[in-house]
Amino acid sequence: MQSESHTAVAHADVPAISRAEIKQHLNDHSLVLVDVLSSDSYANGHLPGAISLPFDQIESRAREQLPDPNAEIAVYCAKFT
Amino acid sequence: MLNQLGYSNVRDYRGGLADWVESGEVLETAAAAPVAQNSSPIGPPLSVSADGYVGRVPARVLSRGRWADSVAGLVDQLTTLQLFLLWIGTVVFCGVAFWLGALVGEHGLIEAGAPIGADLRGLANALYFSFVTATSLGYGDIVPVGFARALSVSEAVVALLIFGAVISKFVSHRQDELVSEIHRVTFDERLDRVQTNLHTVISELLSIISLCEARSMPLPRVSARLDSAVLLFLGELRTTHDLLYQPRLLVEEGVLASILANLSSALEVLLEALTCLPADFTRSQPLELTINIVTSLSKDICGTCVPHDYTPRLIFWMDRIQQTANRIQ
Repeated sequence: MQSESHTAVAHADVPAISRAEIKQHLNDHSLVLVDVLSSDSYANGHLPGAISLPFDQIESRAREQLPDPNAEIAVYCAKFT
Repeated sequence: MLNQLGYSNVRDYRGGLADWVESGEVLETAAAAPVAQNSSPIGPPLSVSADGYVGRVPARVLSRGRWADSVAGLVDQLTTLQLFLLWIGTVVFCGVAFWLGALVGEHGLIEAGAPIGADLRGLANALYFSFVTATSLGYGDIVPVGFARALSVSEAVVALLIFGAVISKFVSHRQDELVSEIHRVTFDERLDRVQTNLHTVISELLSIISLCEARSMPLPRVSARLDSAVLLFLGELRTTHDLLYQPRLLVEEGVLASILANLSSALEVLLEALTCLPADFTRSQPLELTINIVTSLSKDICGTCVPHDYTPRLIFWMDRIQQTANRIQ
């Protein structure tokens, strides 16, 4: 059921991160950027250093891509207006 | 979502890819991105690009075929009239150049064996030659010599290209108009169908309610009718959900309001139908699933959770849909 309502879920309870903050962390590796768009979109262009974890694969692949549950993670997709 | 999988420090970059690009930041392309170093990827190994460079290739989006893209972009930006004026400008510019060449002497134009003069008549002749060349007519009554030959050939090539752009622009403009017109019509028809189907759902659910109040119908048949009504409802709900979350075309406020109002009453009737069913009625598994999806989709519809601004009337209906959905078990 989650995939039916992901937009609202992501919107509701996840704190936001700003562009400036992301830029600060670009060079140290303390922040993991996660691109939840499709892998096509990822190949076309993604934020520097971001890893690809398409939304529909989050449940199946999150563990291997993001082994550390306490890591600082920033997810992004195309745009929330 | 990640939170539910146990990640504690997740934050959401609301601006997303679009905001990043708008701010002029570079994007990485290619599949080769380094996974952050404090994590050990078990997934596919880093791929190496053709020139042996691993990851971190800064490039803007759409950087393929830079030259062709920028020319195409220029053609896209200019209007048909501007392109046509560009063509005229090229021709006149070359005409003047031919005339100036004639002033120099050896590199000008020759008409009937004699160089054209440096006077007004000469200028007219040079412009005439320029147009004849640009339109690739090539009468041959005036011929270029020396450097003017090179100029006239390049002029012919450039003018032909620009003229081609003018024509294609003219044609594609008409086509774009037609295509968007067709889109619009199809879209409107789709919206009409949403309305009709919602009406069907409502009347079907109402008849189920009246039947189950009278206790006059065998349960399997109620179940089948409920199944199909809820499925139909789900389809239209999904369409409306997409309409609110990823609008491809703008919908008139009135149309959207009536869709939302219908959706809201359909949902209320569904709730009523579900509560009025006798206690010994067990929902089939597919029905259960469909109802769950309907509920979770409806809960997504409210004034503050949709990613766009809507008028108070629409927000009222959206909130109402969410409230009703919250009452469904």
